[in-house]
Amino acid sequence: MGDSSTSYIHMVFAFLFLYFDSVQHLIEKCLIFNMTKEECMEALSKHANIKPVITSTVWNELEKENKEFFEAYAQSQSKQDRMSEEETSRMIQKMISDSSSKDPDE
Amino acid sequence: MLAVSPLRNNTSKDDDEGEMESTFTISSDEFPDFADGNLLESIDFDDLFLSIDVDGDVLPDLEMDPEILAEFPPASEESEMNASGEKTDESDNQRKDEEENKVSTSKGDEETVSKREEPKAVKTGSKDGDKGRKSSIRGKSNNNNQSTRKVKVDWTPELHRRFVQAVEQLGVDKAVPSRILELMGIDCLTRHNIASHLQKYRSHRKHLLAREAEAASWIHRRQIYGGATPVGGGGKRDVNHWLPPTMGFPPSASPMHHQNHHFRPLHVWGHPTMDQSLMQLWPKHLAPPPPPPRPAWGPPPPADTSFWHHQHHRVPNGQTPGTPCFPPLTVAPTRLGAVPVPGIPPHHAMYKADPGIGVPASQLRRHPLVDLHPSKESIDAAIGDVLSKPWLPLPIGLKPPSTDGVLVELQRQGVPKIPPSCA
Repeated sequence: MGDSSTSYIHMVFAFLFLYFDSVQHLIEKCLIFNMTKEECMEALSKHANIKPVITSTVWNELEKENKEFFEAYAQSQSKQDRMSEEETSRMIQKMISDSSSKDPDE
Repeated sequence: MLAVSPLRNNTSKDDDEGEMESTFTISSDEFPDFADGNLLESIDFDDLFLSIDVDGDVLPDLEMDPEILAEFPPASEESEMNASGEKTDESDNQRKDEEENKVSTSKGDEETVSKREEPKAVKTGSKDGDKGRKSSIRGKSNNNNQSTRKVKVDWTPELHRRFVQAVEQLGVDKAVPSRILELMGIDCLTRHNIASHLQKYRSHRKHLLAREAEAASWIHRRQIYGGATPVGGGGKRDVNHWLPPTMGFPPSASPMHHQNHHFRPLHVWGHPTMDQSLMQLWPKHLAPPPPPPRPAWGPPPPADTSFWHHQHHRVPNGQTPGTPCFPPLTVAPTRLGAVPVPGIPPHHAMYKADPGIGVPASQLRRHPLVDLHPSKESIDAAIGDVLSKPWLPLPIGLKPPSTDGVLVELQRQGVPKIPPSCA
């Protein structure tokens, strides 16, 4: 494999990786909408034409990488009826600021 | 400054992609030298202005936070606002003085770092402090009620393209908001608008380069350890799935050609818009994928060619099929012109949630981020926003999974080609 085709593949893969970035971004939007994984798969499939298996896989991997967030998220989902919308928002807000505060201080 | 450099690197990496560090070794030597120069250059000024709150000036979009926060339980918000308020008041004063004296270069650069340094808290206060001084950009959510009266700049692809043209004309690292503004020659933009967008742009570029390096590293690993992929039983065969012709990148040829001009966000990977969005991400020194010598490569190349031509008035000459490569930096700077920029990813919680999501203002008052009954339109808009403006930071900023893991998992699920065609 020559250099140029190697570079080409690098580009293609970078493209691929960025694709997953996009899927994650879309999933996060769905999370803000407080959607379930299934709802998210459907929304991305319908509105962005992303195969549900892709969405599902990225979601699962995100979940592995952000266990606490998703656990809390699942709880809020199950509590939806009992938990007020504000509570839910607050919880998500907190998670967001938690993840923000995790960023190392520059 | 040098000492800060690695920190900055880490920052951006952490901000953008936590996984990069965990999965790959993104060595900076894989990056072109200019990247280092970029860091050094920007850090010089950033160092000086670390304590200065520029957030208010820098990222109008991010100002969403304060508004959102304002809607929140007063207790937590007030403390946050108070805390940040003090900081920002000082910063504002300091900045006011310095602004007269400082070159806009430093301003632009300082904003780059300050933005990272003081994500949410500062914004809250800074906005208030800056209300009188700036005219800007916000307007998201329920801001209209406040005296802020900031007008949000909608960075359309066209606007962004002109921005990138100006930036590349000046040189990404040397581009200064005031000069960019001059070159763009658009009345309704303020230097602040430009400055914040520039910050996002630079950040995004770094992200793209990092992704590229990550991909290169990943591929090399695959090639070296091809027989020992994590996928059980797959071995070499699996590795080959990720190599050219089996990649089966963009699926069908037809959609691409028709839609290369029309920027519609809601499309699939492999369809023009998604491709356009992603193409916008392409680091400028990379050539676009060449027209497919083999059918497996499918659509994007031809469409991309015309897309770029249309968008950037630039014919990808010098790009002969079958000779993809990394052209020298000087080549086709604007080809990937619309390289949008993610802002500062992770800690921008409510960042772009607003207009993108289309959550009604009244709803925001009660639960800013949570629309329990998202309408199709709002979902549509939110998704469209993500696809058309790749530079926007992640709204929640979850730690990204390892790409390796995702790919492996997809393999397990029997998805031989990435990305798949239409859902």
